[in-house]
Order: sequence, then structure tokens, then C-alpha cells
Amino acid sequence: MLPAAGAQAHVNANASEPAPDPGPTIHLNGWRASPGCDFGPVRSATRSARAFMEACGLSETEGAAWELALTEAGNNAVQHATEAGRKLPIEFEVLCDPRSVEVRIVDHTPGFDWPEDPTLPEPDAESGRGLFLIRTLVDESRYFRHDSANLLVLRRARETPVEECAPASREELAAQLEECDAALTNMTSELASSYESLTALFRYSAELGTGGDLKDFAGRLVGDLLLVTGADHAVVRLFRQEPQRLELFLTAPPGDAVPPEVLVPHKNVCTECLALATRQDIWFKPGHPEGEGEPAPGTTASLAGICHPFFVGDKPVGTVSLVRDAEEQPFTAAQISLLHTFVDFLGIQITNARLLEERTQALLVERELQIASEIQRALLPDALPRCPPFVLAASAEAARQVGGDFYDARPAGDGGLFLVIADVMGKGVPAAFFASMLRNAVRCLQSLYEHPGRLLTKLNTGLCDDLSRVDMFATVQVAYLDARRATVITASAGHSPLIVCSAEGRAELVSNAGLPLGIEPDTVYEETRLPLSPGAWALLYTDGLTEARAPDGTLFGEDRLAAWLAQPDQLKQPAPARRKDLLRTLADYREGTPLSDDETFILVCHRP
Amino acid sequence: MKTQNLDAQTVRVTELPEVTAANATEVRDGVRAAITPTCRILQMDLSQTAFLDSSGLGALVGLHKTLRQQDGVLQILHPTPAVAQLLELTRLHRLFEIVEK
Repeated sequence: MLPAAGAQAHVNANASEPAPDPGPTIHLNGWRASPGCDFGPVRSATRSARAFMEACGLSETEGAAWELALTEAGNNAVQHATEAGRKLPIEFEVLCDPRSVEVRIVDHTPGFDWPEDPTLPEPDAESGRGLFLIRTLVDESRYFRHDSANLLVLRRARETPVEECAPASREELAAQLEECDAALTNMTSELASSYESLTALFRYSAELGTGGDLKDFAGRLVGDLLLVTGADHAVVRLFRQEPQRLELFLTAPPGDAVPPEVLVPHKNVCTECLALATRQDIWFKPGHPEGEGEPAPGTTASLAGICHPFFVGDKPVGTVSLVRDAEEQPFTAAQISLLHTFVDFLGIQITNARLLEERTQALLVERELQIASEIQRALLPDALPRCPPFVLAASAEAARQVGGDFYDARPAGDGGLFLVIADVMGKGVPAAFFASMLRNAVRCLQSLYEHPGRLLTKLNTGLCDDLSRVDMFATVQVAYLDARRATVITASAGHSPLIVCSAEGRAELVSNAGLPLGIEPDTVYEETRLPLSPGAWALLYTDGLTEARAPDGTLFGEDRLAAWLAQPDQLKQPAPARRKDLLRTLADYREGTPLSDDETFILVCHRP
Repeated sequence: MKTQNLDAQTVRVTELPEVTAANATEVRDGVRAAITPTCRILQMDLSQTAFLDSSGLGALVGLHKTLRQQDGVLQILHPTPAVAQLLELTRLHRLFEIVEK
């Protein structure tokens, strides 16, 4: 881009807003225009270009030649513009030197093959004379092709070279040289700083979302920020909820004295808390009263700087304070804008890191549930033992959340069968783990299978300490079925009543429950003995069955369960068929609402 | 642009400040519409035409062809120096009948 044009130059209306301080001016006879990609605007531009050239002293003939050459070049640029190029302006630049005129035209076309020696088409051709005219009208033409824009440079000597002005005095020249020098230095430093900032920003963009080490990333970002803003110190704090506080995240450069670790809004009077609360940048100047926990890291009271609170969406993330040792200039608008841009990146990366942490946590929970359900599945026997004259069927349907239900069936004594069903209160891995412990403990007490009460008492004594230490308990029902005596002996630790149904269809609920396991170490569990004559049924179950809910919220309940067991026409059915029927009955009752608790049961029939 | 039928065989076009890519198609089609089947001479009065580009030349060539199809000619009346130079530069002064002032 040309620097601001001097007195003789025309600046077109499309030019960007002039900067408030253009800095040193370089005087050149330059003109530029950026008409839209259409014939009309291009024609207006070439008309003004001619006017400008004639104002620079070119003759009417020269003006006419240039006007035609420019119009031809402009028309080509319009006619062959790419689809994207049609939205872009065509750029004209005219430079009138004392000896020659140079014109540059930027087009957005796929580019032309610029012929060295264009020829005229047949006389009655209606097009194809443009390039010939351009080449004929100017002394020199060069065409540079690029990816998205091409440059045409045209040059033509002036008919009458302009008299050079009287040689400037040595002082004037020196002054001019200095002016140019200052302008160049200015431009170079601006360019260098923009380049640095851009490079840094590209690097940050690449790192966003990679989930690298956050502190490391932030350290590099803040280090760069110090460089591009020319600040001496930086302090980054992060906002934490419950209780609300600003925690020190990092200070830069490394080795700076450490300011207070934690600031509490409302309690600490400080710039950082105020900035976060008001959501505005706060400037502090040398000599301003130092509050508690000021951002200045270990400097004296003479500090100047800015504290910038940052947010992602609406959520406060933290503050970044930039500090300069006193007596320096305040931060410029450009530096503040760099601060904002850099900190936006930091905010995104911090939020990313936090989201990643939450996601990892969720994955861990999911994995734990998976492990728990695997443990639970391993608890259940692969197949029920064949133990005539008893016929068994069992089911364990797990609800969404893994609980600690299990059952077990073991042959015992002389033609006897030992059954246990349990529900460990608690969820996840700990509950599944205790269920597993409980099952193994029961298996070890084989000698007590014929004495369910003593077995529970012993089990409770052994496990009570462990269970109560982790605030867990378990309800357990054990039953010993004696084929020779046709009886069932049962004991319960806080478990749902056992249901027994005679061959005649009379159901009985056995409510002999003592405390659940793991409540009182000294609990003594009683046994109840009932007849289990041939053709009778027994049902051991967890409360998932009785607490199954109809859509209106009514519980399935013990009575309904007992009535189901005692259905006269079902008493002769095989156990597996009745198991299926019970599952269907429960599902019908829930009418499709999902299980809220595990449904586990053992169904046994005395069938000699 | 103004078109007049001077007689059954002659159509004259006047008041053309410039013919460029921006208006060449419009000028050509406008003139064609004014040419009657009996027309044998199309007079393009370029005495006020300060600027003509290659698209303007294309329009003139197009009209020339239209006239030739009906055994007519295109005459260019009183071209300005700029236009005359352009016609020579592109050697079209041999194609058209040019009537100098």
C-alpha cells in the first residue's frame, strides 16, 4: 500500500479511514483506486486516472492513451474474474515519476497468457483487440501470475520529462532522509510486532484442544504476552467456586516474587477482585494506594498496569494483570487489544482443560460401573444344582444402576438343599465387592447349612465390623430344605418374608426377620420351621419384586406376590415355566416402566 | 444516443459520448432495433465520442456485419481525433467508410 499521498495526489473515496496520526509523510505522485468488479466502476476509475495524470502534467494524447490502456486492462479483469474474484475490487495504482508513468493493476482472474507480440484479429472480429491495444499504447508491460490475484505492470515514458526541482539544500535532504528513516523504522517495528503476535496466535490455535499441559501452555503464552506488550511482570489468577476465590495460577517472568496465593472477593480489597466483579479492565497508576494482594509481584508501590478479567461465555475464568515498572509509558490501545486476544486463547484452553477433566471423571465412573456389573455377574451360579426331589428356577434382572443382589443354591446334608438370597445396600464397586465377600463367607459356612439361624448369627459376627466401617449393610434370607422331613427351616436378616405355598394352594408369609447384617454385632437370628410337603412351593426374593411399581406408583406388594404363587391352576406347572410367568407378570404390572431396583428370586418346588 | 431515419435507406445515430464495455451491448442492440429492412446506409456520428474502447469497436464491427447482410454500409461520420487514431491503430479505418469533416 502506498503511504498517505502528498498534496498532488488524489486519494480515492474507497481508501480506508485515515489513521489519526499518519506519522511522517512521503511525498509521491501517486494515485490509487479500488473499483468494484464491474465495467461501470472500472470506467469511472480510468476516467479519474486520466484526470490525475493530466494534473501531473501529462499531455492530452498521453492521457487518452493511458485511459484506453487502463480501460482495456480493467475490462479484461472484470470479464475474466473468477467467481470469488467478482466479489473483490480491482486495484489500480498510478505512479507519475518525472520521466515515466507506471501503472499497476491487480486482477482476480485465473490469469492470462501475456503474449509477447499480440496481433490484431480479423477485421470483422467483434472482440480480441484489448491486449493488442494495451501493448501498443505502452512502452513496457509485465504480467505476474499468482494464485488468487495477478499483477499487470505498465510503463510508458513521458513525452516531456518534468524539470527536476532545484536541488534541495543539504539540510533539507538530511531532514527528508531522517523523515523517511523514521517512517520506515515505525513501519518495520509495527510489522515485526504484528508478525510476532500472529506467529504466536497461530501456535496457540494449533495447541487449542490438544489437551497438553495447561500450565506449560499458559506459561509460554504469558511469556509471549510480556514480549509483545512490553510489560515487565504478569500475574494470572483463576476463579474457583465454592467458596468463591481467586487462586494464583502463575507469575511471569519466572523468579518473580510470589503474591498472595488466594484472594477472596468481598473480603480482600484488591484490583483483581474488583476487575472480576465489575467485568471491566482496571488500570492502576504509580502511587495509587496499594491494596491487599495487589498484582504487582514484589515491586514497590510505584507500579503501573492493567488488570483484565476474562470470561468464557458468561462464566468468569480468571484475571490477567500486566505490570510495568513505573515511569514508562502506559499501554497502547494495540497492546491492550493483544492482551485481550491472547487471554481469549488462554480462557479457551483453560475451559478445555476443565472439560477434559470432567469427561475423564465421567469415564472413570462408567468404568467403575462396568467393573461392578462384571463382579456381580460372576456372583451368580452358572447353573443351579440338580437336587431332587427339589426343582429350582431362579432369575436375576439388574436395574440400570448396579446393586448388590445375589443368590446361591447348594446341595446340603442328606438330600437337603441350602438356599441363600441377599441384597447388599449400596451401589457400584463397593456393594458388588461386599456381595462377593458375603457369598464366599456363606460358602465357607457349609457346616451350618442345616442351621440357618446359627449361620446368620456367625456371618453377622464375622462381617459386622467390616460392613459398619463402610456404612454398608445387607439383608439376607437363608433356607434349608429337608426332603426327608418335608420341612423348610429359614432365618432372615432384615430380608423380605419367605413365601411358602402348600400343594393345596395355601400361601404363608414367614416374617421372622432379625436386623440386617452389619448393624449390631451381637444379633442372634432365630429359625422358623415350616412343612414343605410334596407339591408345595417356596419363593425367596429381593424387595425389587414387591417394590415393582405400576405407572400410577402402586407397589406390587407381598400380597400380590403370594397370590401369584398360590394360583391353583399354576401349582402343577414346571418351575422354569413359572419363573417365566412371574417375570411376565411383573413386566405387565410395570407396563413398560424400567426396573427401579434389581429383581432377583429363587423359586423352588418339592416334587418327589 | 439518438437514432433518426433520414430517408427509407438511411439511419443516422448521434449523441454518443462514449462507447465502452459498460454500454457497448446496449448501443449495438439499440441501433440494430432502429435499422429498418430497407436501410442501406447506417451513419454512426462519432463527432461527440471522446472515448471508445475495444468493446466499442466490437459493437461497430457487429453493426457493420448487420448492414453488410442487407447489402448496406456503415459510415462513420466526423470521428474525434482520439477515435480516428484508434480506428487507424486497429486498422479498422479500412473496414468502415469514414467521412471526415
